[in-house]
Amino acid sequence: MNNKAILAALKKNAMLIVLVLVYLFFLILTKGSIFSPSSFAELINQNAYVYILGAGMLMCMLTGGNIDLSCGAFVCLLGAFGGVFMIVQGLGTGVSIALMLLIGVVYGCVLGYLIAYVHIPPWIATLAGYLAFRGLGTSILSANSKTGSLAPFPVDFQNIFYGRVFPTEKGVFNWPCFLFGVAAAALVVLVIFTTRKNRLSKGYEADTVKAAAVKSGLGAAVILLVMSRLALDGGIPTTLLWVAGIVLIYSFITSKTTVGRHFYVVGGNMEAARLSGVNTRRIMFLAYLNMAILTAIATFTVIARSQSAYADVGKNFEMDAISACVVGGVSASGGAGTVLGMVVGATLIGVINLGMSLISLDANYQRVVKGFVLLAAVVFDILSKKRQK
Amino acid sequence: MSENRAVSPGKKSLFQDFKAGEFFQKYTMIIALVVVTIVFSLWPGKNGLILQPANVTGLIAENAYVFVLATGMLMCILTGGNIDLSVGSVVCFTAAIGCVMMASGVNMWLTVLAMLAIGLAIGAFQGFWIAKIQVPAFIATLAGMYAFRGFSNVVLNGYRVDITNQQFLDLFGNGKTSFVPDYIRQAMPGLDSVFTKDNAFLSALIGQNFVAKFNVTCMCIGIVAALVFVLIKVRKILVQKKLGISQSIPGQIISTVIIAALILWVTFKLSCYRGFPNVLIWTILVLGIYAYITTKTAIGRHLYAVGGNEKATALSGVKTRNVYWFAYANIGLLAGLAGILTAGRAKGIDPVYGEGYEMDAIASCFIGGASAYGGTGKVSGMIIGAILMGVINKGMIIVGVDANYQKVVKGIVLLIAVMFDVLSKRQKR
Repeated sequence: MNNKAILAALKKNAMLIVLVLVYLFFLILTKGSIFSPSSFAELINQNAYVYILGAGMLMCMLTGGNIDLSCGAFVCLLGAFGGVFMIVQGLGTGVSIALMLLIGVVYGCVLGYLIAYVHIPPWIATLAGYLAFRGLGTSILSANSKTGSLAPFPVDFQNIFYGRVFPTEKGVFNWPCFLFGVAAAALVVLVIFTTRKNRLSKGYEADTVKAAAVKSGLGAAVILLVMSRLALDGGIPTTLLWVAGIVLIYSFITSKTTVGRHFYVVGGNMEAARLSGVNTRRIMFLAYLNMAILTAIATFTVIARSQSAYADVGKNFEMDAISACVVGGVSASGGAGTVLGMVVGATLIGVINLGMSLISLDANYQRVVKGFVLLAAVVFDILSKKRQK
Repeated sequence: MSENRAVSPGKKSLFQDFKAGEFFQKYTMIIALVVVTIVFSLWPGKNGLILQPANVTGLIAENAYVFVLATGMLMCILTGGNIDLSVGSVVCFTAAIGCVMMASGVNMWLTVLAMLAIGLAIGAFQGFWIAKIQVPAFIATLAGMYAFRGFSNVVLNGYRVDITNQQFLDLFGNGKTSFVPDYIRQAMPGLDSVFTKDNAFLSALIGQNFVAKFNVTCMCIGIVAALVFVLIKVRKILVQKKLGISQSIPGQIISTVIIAALILWVTFKLSCYRGFPNVLIWTILVLGIYAYITTKTAIGRHLYAVGGNEKATALSGVKTRNVYWFAYANIGLLAGLAGILTAGRAKGIDPVYGEGYEMDAIASCFIGGASAYGGTGKVSGMIIGAILMGVINKGMIIVGVDANYQKVVKGIVLLIAVMFDVLSKRQKR
C-alpha cells in the first residue's frame, strides 16, 4: 500500500525525476562545475525568458493547444524599439519601459481581436507576425546604426532587469539573499500545510501528513540550496525576482481565480464552456493580450542581459517556450497543464543547455542531444502516464 | 441575370445559375494571384519584367521545393492541423548525405535512391513516435528539427560540399542543360528555317527576340497538357450533369478555361526561354500523384476523415494511428526529394540550407485554403497558395523591395489572405 503510494507519486512527477537524473548526470560529467554558484545564476539569467514566455504560452495552450509563433520575432522588434527609445532618442528608462509595454499592449489587442473576434486561426495570425516583425525590427536597427545593433542600454535599465539586489563581492556570503530564501522556504511549508488543512476541513481528499511533510521538506530544501548558492555569487539576481513574481502570479491566477479556471474550461470543451455562460471570446482575447505583455517583459530581461538590441535576438524563443510547456506536461490539445509543470520543463531544458555548454560539447551535437532529450522526456512522461491508467 | 431568366424553362441556360459572389468566393486566391501578377507587371519602371520568360522559368525552378514540401505538409495538416517542423532540417540532412556520397564517387542513381530512402526512414521514425506512442507531432518534429540540423553539420563538417556530377545537376538542377531538349526541332531540322525573324507571322506571335530559339517540344507538351485537362474536365462536367449533381457548371467552365489558358501561357513562356525545366517534371509528377491520392484513394479519404473527426473515424474501422504514420513517413520521403531538388539547384549544400522551409510549406497550405484544424484542404488550393507566395517573392525582388520589408509584406499577405477566407466563409453561413 505504502509502496504503491510512493510509486504513484513518482509516476505523477516523472518529469521532476527526469530533471533530477539529468542534473546528476551533468554533475558527474562536469565534475561538479554545474553546482558552482555562478552556474546557478547563469541558469536563471539565461533562461529567464523561457519562464516568462512559457507562462504566457501556457495560457494560450490551455485554451485549446493554441500557440504564439510571433513572440520571438516580437522580442526582436520590441528590442529595436527599446534601442531607439533609450539609446538613439535618449528617453528616460521609465518612459521607455512604459512605451515598450504600450506597444506590447497594442499588439496584444490587435492579435487578440483577430483571433478571438475575427476567428483567424492563432497559428496563422501569429505566423504573420513571425514573418513580419523580424524584418521590421532589422530595418529599424539598420536605419539607426551602421552595425545593425544598438548598444549599450543605460545602467539603470540593466540594473532593473539584469542586476543584483543588495550586491556583494563574489564569494562573500550574501545574507539578504539567504534570508530571502529562508522566508520563501517558510512560505512554501506554510502554504502546503494550510492548503492541506483547508481541504480537510471542506472534506476533500488531501495529502497525508507524511506526504505533506516530504513535499514541503523537499521544496524548502531546494529553495534553501539554490539561494545559498546564489548568495555566494553576489546576491539575488533581479531576473529571479521577475521570474519568481510572474510564476507566482500565474500559478495563483490559473489555480485560484475564476478567469484562470475559465482558461481550462475553454480548452477542455469550447462549446460547453460557451453554453455555460463563459465568455469564450474574451478568454481567447485575454490569452493573447497577456502573451504580448509578457513578451515585452521577457524582452526587457533579454536585452538587459545582452546589453544590446540586434537582429538575431529572440530567434527560436517561441520554440523554447512551447517546448518548456509541452515537456512540462501541458497538453498540446489544451485544457491541461500547470505553471509548476512548465517551470520544471523550462528548468530541464535550461539544465541541458547549460550542462552541454559547460562540457563544451560541439554545438552540432548539442542540437542533436537537445532533440533527443526532448523526445525522450516526452515519451517517458507519456509512457509512465499510460501505465498509470 | 434577368436576361437569362427569360429563357424558356425547358432549355436551361448554362449561365442561369451563375452567382458572381459564389464564384469570387470559391476562386478568391486565383483572383488574388491574377491581381498580384498584374500589379507587379504594371509596376512603373519594371514594366512586364516579371512576365519575362526567364523570370517565369526562374519562378518555377526556385519554388519546386515549396511545391514538394507543401504537398507533404498538406497530408499532415489534413489529419488535424498537425505539422512537421523538421522538414527544413531533413532537407539539409538528406542533401548533405547525397552530396557527400556523390563527392566520394557513388553512382548518381544509387545516391538518389539513398536520399529518398533516408528521407522515408526519418519520416517513418518520427511517425512511429507520433502514431504509436502518441507524442504530440509538434514535439516529435521539433526534436527532429534540432537533431537533423545538428547531424547535417556533422556530416558536412560545417563546410559546403559541391556537386560535380553533371547528370545529377541536369536532372534536378537549374543550369543551362537542366531542360528537356527540343526533340521535335532536332528531328525536323527544317523547322530552323521556319522559326526565323523573317517569318513575319511567327515573329509577331512569339516575339522577335525569342522566335529563333523557340522550343517547339515544350510548347507541344503544353498544348497536349491543356487539351487533356480540358477533356478531363468536360467529361467530369458531363458526368455531373448526367447524375444531376448540382455544381455551379458555369463556374467550372470559367475556371477550366482559365487554367487551360494558364497552362498554355506558362509553357509558351518556358518555350521562349530554354524550354521545359526538368524540375517541373518532378514537381508535376508529385502534385499529380498526390492530387490522385487525396481525391481517389481510400488512404487519401482517410486523411480527411481523421482530420474531421478522429474518434468517429476510428469507430468506423479505420486504423487512425496508421493514417498518422502514413502522413509522416510520406512527408519524410518528400523531404528527401526536396533535398535532391535543393542540392541540384544550389549545385551543392551548405549546413544552413533548408532553414525556414517548413514555414514556406505551411504558409502555402494555409494560403491555399487548408484548415488549421484539419479535415479540409486540396492539392490544387495548395498549388495556388505556393504560386502566390512565389510571385510575391519574385515580384518584390524585381521591384527592389528591401529584404527586410519583403518579410513584412509576406506576413501581411498571409494574414490578409486568411482573413479574407475566414470572413467570406462566415458570410456564407
